[in-house]
Amino acid sequence: MIEFRGVSKTYPGSSRPVVNDLSFEVFDGEICVLVGPSGCGKTTSMRMVNRLIEPSAGEILIDGEPNTAMSGTKLRRHIGYAIQQIGLFPHRTIADNIATVPQLLEWDKGRISARVEELLNLVGLDPDQYRDRYPAELSGGQQQRVGVARALAADPPVMLMDEPFGAVDPINRHRLQDEFLRIQGEIKKTIIFVTHDIDEAIKMGDRIAILQEGGILAQYDTPENILASPNSEFVSSFVGADRVLKRLSLLRVSDVELGPPNGDGLPRLSERMNLKDALSELIGAGVERGSVVSDKDAVRGTLSIETIQRLSHGAEQARGE
Amino acid sequence: MNSLLEVFQRPDFLSQLVVHVELSVVALLIGVAIALPAAIAVSRSPLASTIVINIANTGRAVPSLAILALVFPLLGFGFAPSLVALVLLAIPPILINASTGLMQVSPQVIDAARGMGLSDGQILGRIKLPIAAPVIFAGIRTSAVQVVASATLATFIGGGGLGELIVLGFQRNDLAIQIGGSLTVAMLAIITEVSFGALERTFTPKGLRIARKHRGK
Repeated sequence: MIEFRGVSKTYPGSSRPVVNDLSFEVFDGEICVLVGPSGCGKTTSMRMVNRLIEPSAGEILIDGEPNTAMSGTKLRRHIGYAIQQIGLFPHRTIADNIATVPQLLEWDKGRISARVEELLNLVGLDPDQYRDRYPAELSGGQQQRVGVARALAADPPVMLMDEPFGAVDPINRHRLQDEFLRIQGEIKKTIIFVTHDIDEAIKMGDRIAILQEGGILAQYDTPENILASPNSEFVSSFVGADRVLKRLSLLRVSDVELGPPNGDGLPRLSERMNLKDALSELIGAGVERGSVVSDKDAVRGTLSIETIQRLSHGAEQARGE
Repeated sequence: MNSLLEVFQRPDFLSQLVVHVELSVVALLIGVAIALPAAIAVSRSPLASTIVINIANTGRAVPSLAILALVFPLLGFGFAPSLVALVLLAIPPILINASTGLMQVSPQVIDAARGMGLSDGQILGRIKLPIAAPVIFAGIRTSAVQVVASATLATFIGGGGLGELIVLGFQRNDLAIQIGGSLTVAMLAIITEVSFGALERTFTPKGLRIARKHRGK
């Protein structure tokens, strides 16, 4: 668990803090997304965890221990770190890049090369093909995969990720996000993930901390709760007028209680679709109900627009807008 | 032709060649020993690096002969004052290239290195220097060629070297001695250029060569 206790950061020569009295907890095995407009102190907050920046006040505890208990260098070797511009070392092979922290920790060679192979497989790059290549020979998406693999190398319990998928096109970004969520399902790290993109925050976060200018924590909750009940004007405008639809995108058709299978000729909806896409499909077809089918085309039941409406009831404010 | 061969067989030819090489090598080594640590010392501050680069650029504009002329009234005659003058000549190109090379290492790469727990020393030794190596070696090559050529002028303040032969040739109006000395200096400079070029390629990490090729596409 990572705990921020009254953490503030004011740079010398500036009267206004960039991070202001931040207190919240990141739970084990969860992705906590720090999101907010530029100047909200999200990256600064993240960088104080591994002490690339030292706070002016307050403290950060990792598993109950203040992060000042060991030297910054030693601390950082036990916290995964992945950044937007990736920062792969251009003069080192992919294998050597991934092995950076294990080498610092003086693992033996056999263990390192086994780990490199395991990680390349994990992020979907064929070890035989990529191990000895150099960063310049890889596409942007491949480089970001290597960046993630490098951050995971020494199997750190905690990871910091600063817009780790920021430098690729939207299609690749979605793919990388999906892949990373799959990986996280297996490795269950405690992750602080910084982004400026609310959609990415909703997709990736188990919990979201929305920061506003001046480094003030505006709201900290699960994506569902933030979308259902934003606690301030700032949060509701930051998450956007389409927050009801965003919330629907968090639910899958298979999560919903379906009506009995009924009638032919209804449009077919895959049970793996999210509710937002299902709604779009129904509206597009100009019908009230659709027939939900499994991957193997077995009919599961029917889904009506009315059901979807009832589910989004928690956000009636938005409907009035 | 025969008389040119006689020049190479003169007893003072070999000894002046040795002095010339000695002056050049020692001046270059001292130059590297001063300029490289200085560049590293200022490399953490872009402002300091820029200032140093500008001072060094101004220094480069001073002609070799002018430096010799400046050293002579201060330090007098002989090998040591010549050495000092050549060191002064050797420093600017190395300083400029080393500062530029270290400054050009991407801040993201350095941030990633720091974020993964490399110490300042490790960042310098394992990341910054290898990435800047080609640029640094290019500076050392420029410097070496310039020192070898300028060592010819050491004769004017009693430093010896192949310049002695050229001056002697002038005094005696002996074309063979003049050409023999000049050709040897030219050969030395070319050998220096070629061998430092090879060194530069050797010290360019493979990943950087590949990156350069990819950027070129």
